[in-house]
Amino acid sequence: MQRDVGSLPLSPALRARLLAAGFQTAQELLETGPCGLSKEIGISREEALEALQVVRQECAGDAAKTAGGSGSTRKCTALELLEEEQTQGFIITFCSALDNILGGGVQLTKITEICGAPGVGKTQLCMQLAVDVQIPECFGGVAGEAVFIDTEGSFMVDRAADIATACVRHCQLIAEAHQEEDHLQALETFSLESILSHIYYFRCRDYIELLAQVYLLPDFLSEHSKVRLVVIDGIAFPFRHDFEDLSLRTRLLNGLAQQLIIIANDHKSAVVLTNQMTTRFGQNQSMLVPALGESWGHAATVRLIFHWDNTQRLATLYKSPSQKESTIPYNITDKGDQNHSWYSRDLQIPALTSGLPRCAASTCHPKCRRY
Amino acid sequence: MAAGVVWVALKGHPLGVTRHHCSVGGPMGMLRAVCPHGPPWYPRVRYGTPWVPIPSPHRSLRFHPRSAPSHSAGAMVVLRAGLCPGLTEEMIQLLRANNIRTVVDFVSSDLEDVAQSCSLSYKALVAVRRVLLAQFSAFPTNGADLYEELKSSTAILPTGNPSLDQLLDAGLYTGEVTELAGAPGSGKTQVCLSIAASVSLGLRQHVFFLDSTGGFTASRLYQMLQARVEDKEEQVESSAGPLKAVLIDSVSAVLSPLLGGRQSEGLAIMMQLARELKTLAKEFSVAVVVTNQVTRDSSTGALKSALGRSWSFVPSTRVLLQGRAVPWEDGAAPHTACLAKSPRQPTGMQVQLDIGSDAVQEQRPVTPTP
Repeated sequence: MQRDVGSLPLSPALRARLLAAGFQTAQELLETGPCGLSKEIGISREEALEALQVVRQECAGDAAKTAGGSGSTRKCTALELLEEEQTQGFIITFCSALDNILGGGVQLTKITEICGAPGVGKTQLCMQLAVDVQIPECFGGVAGEAVFIDTEGSFMVDRAADIATACVRHCQLIAEAHQEEDHLQALETFSLESILSHIYYFRCRDYIELLAQVYLLPDFLSEHSKVRLVVIDGIAFPFRHDFEDLSLRTRLLNGLAQQLIIIANDHKSAVVLTNQMTTRFGQNQSMLVPALGESWGHAATVRLIFHWDNTQRLATLYKSPSQKESTIPYNITDKGDQNHSWYSRDLQIPALTSGLPRCAASTCHPKCRRY
Repeated sequence: MAAGVVWVALKGHPLGVTRHHCSVGGPMGMLRAVCPHGPPWYPRVRYGTPWVPIPSPHRSLRFHPRSAPSHSAGAMVVLRAGLCPGLTEEMIQLLRANNIRTVVDFVSSDLEDVAQSCSLSYKALVAVRRVLLAQFSAFPTNGADLYEELKSSTAILPTGNPSLDQLLDAGLYTGEVTELAGAPGSGKTQVCLSIAASVSLGLRQHVFFLDSTGGFTASRLYQMLQARVEDKEEQVESSAGPLKAVLIDSVSAVLSPLLGGRQSEGLAIMMQLARELKTLAKEFSVAVVVTNQVTRDSSTGALKSALGRSWSFVPSTRVLLQGRAVPWEDGAAPHTACLAKSPRQPTGMQVQLDIGSDAVQEQRPVTPTP
């Protein structure tokens, strides 16, 4: 009730008049009543009535929030957050070194950004993640669905099918090694068709479609509540070409970032974005930096930069709230009969907790805790 | 004014220079409210004078619940019955008939004329005016009293990082707004977490962390706390003290979509937020820490804090954090912090920050405040 008139959602002209007339809090407005208000400010009675309606609604909403209703701002202690985080799963990438530097995999409720030059493997990783999010919980996954928003048209269905087949085969090998009831049960529903049918694909051709899609996404996600991953492949592409007004671009991107944070938090899903690289000229040299400017760098919570070193691909964790910066080499492989579609040969698997036998695939992810 | 210093409360306009709503205490203690539509008055104050806590000696005379002087936007208040004792409805009608509608009109008019034209008693008018002045204007405090009050109410909170404490002149001062600006990955969230850990563990006080970026990771905070507690048996149930630190990470993430373009309200909302933060810091004696982004200066290419010039007057201390530009190339240039604005230390001071990623292994000793 003590709310400032300046913070009420009235039209600016009306607000200016109210302030000039000397009203300061919402309570004063409500005390005056529509007749007094229309006389003092010089507006019609209907307008005064409408304004008072708005004020009343706002105050009622505030009272509900302070009484403990769940508003859009979530309040909790750090201990509750810690407990939540410890029970939350990660989306594994099937590359053990990458998962190590990320602290277990792509984290839910956070925005991860993957930047890299063309051809370095960003879309491959996105497709891998869209498949990996669907791994059943008994195999160490999160058992969710994926939304794939494509702006560059680089999503190849046959490549996704290869990755899915390799993933199914990997899980089958685990199940064969351990012959447990829940594994076999989960495998019945985990097949190529089911994986592909749970990847929801959207194609956006320009920035307006992309913005519309992201702003409509909460409705989609409330219908499909099992979605645990939202991938936007190519967030830089629609914003880089044909955009004259740079300040408008910054504002749109900031609004987009906030909307993605809301989606990540409300629906407990991971958001993965891919970004391009651009050249920045320093004092005496030029360097490759992620595109879309400085302000976009704050949108992502975790930033991975993929780059080349002669012929070796490297991944650097550039920004993370809980892991330190490090660089690892990685490879992209074709599907093999027993190999995964993407695994690292160059780093050793961290120590296994128990002496369980390894599976037939030579390198396996420690998150599949049967190894 | 024994100490010879007159502090001026600059209300309503955080930019520090105001033409409106300013009361200046003269040598006889007479207060004059300036009408915003009158001639401009530029008081001779030092730029960036901080907010003054307004200890009104007439607290008992404040009847209207909202008339805390630090909140009122000056005297642009409509005269209303019950505003103060002695101001009755009929009095208001008579005054209104003579074109006196607001407190400013009343206080700046000649009471003898008013008494004659409205046929009201002069004594009653003088009494009402005294009460209104007490309610709606700021009282000058002399410097010695102000110093005593600051000494008793200000606390210095250690940030948990000794080099940052050195930069901030022993730590975060309560009653002030401090800003940490930096490029992505420069360590702002880490510094905020380390402040939260050190205040809640070292001083055993509540910390309010407002996160608008999704970067708060409880497990990292847990790591930092574990690194600070040397003796596990020290983890005893202790009652935490009052709230002393408010951390907002980050303020530009929610404000930058509103600024610029044809939106006229963004700047107003930003300034309103600024006013609320400063009032919060001053009235409740808390240290407010905000995090800001950086943008590139188009002419020089240097990094500067985002949100523009208007925001740059809001925090009293500004620290610019810098990490490595290209992490996989040469050398380990560590994180540095540079002081961009401070009321106490020379600007341009630079220290190296140890963000401390292996916090679980290393034991960070509790720093004694210098």
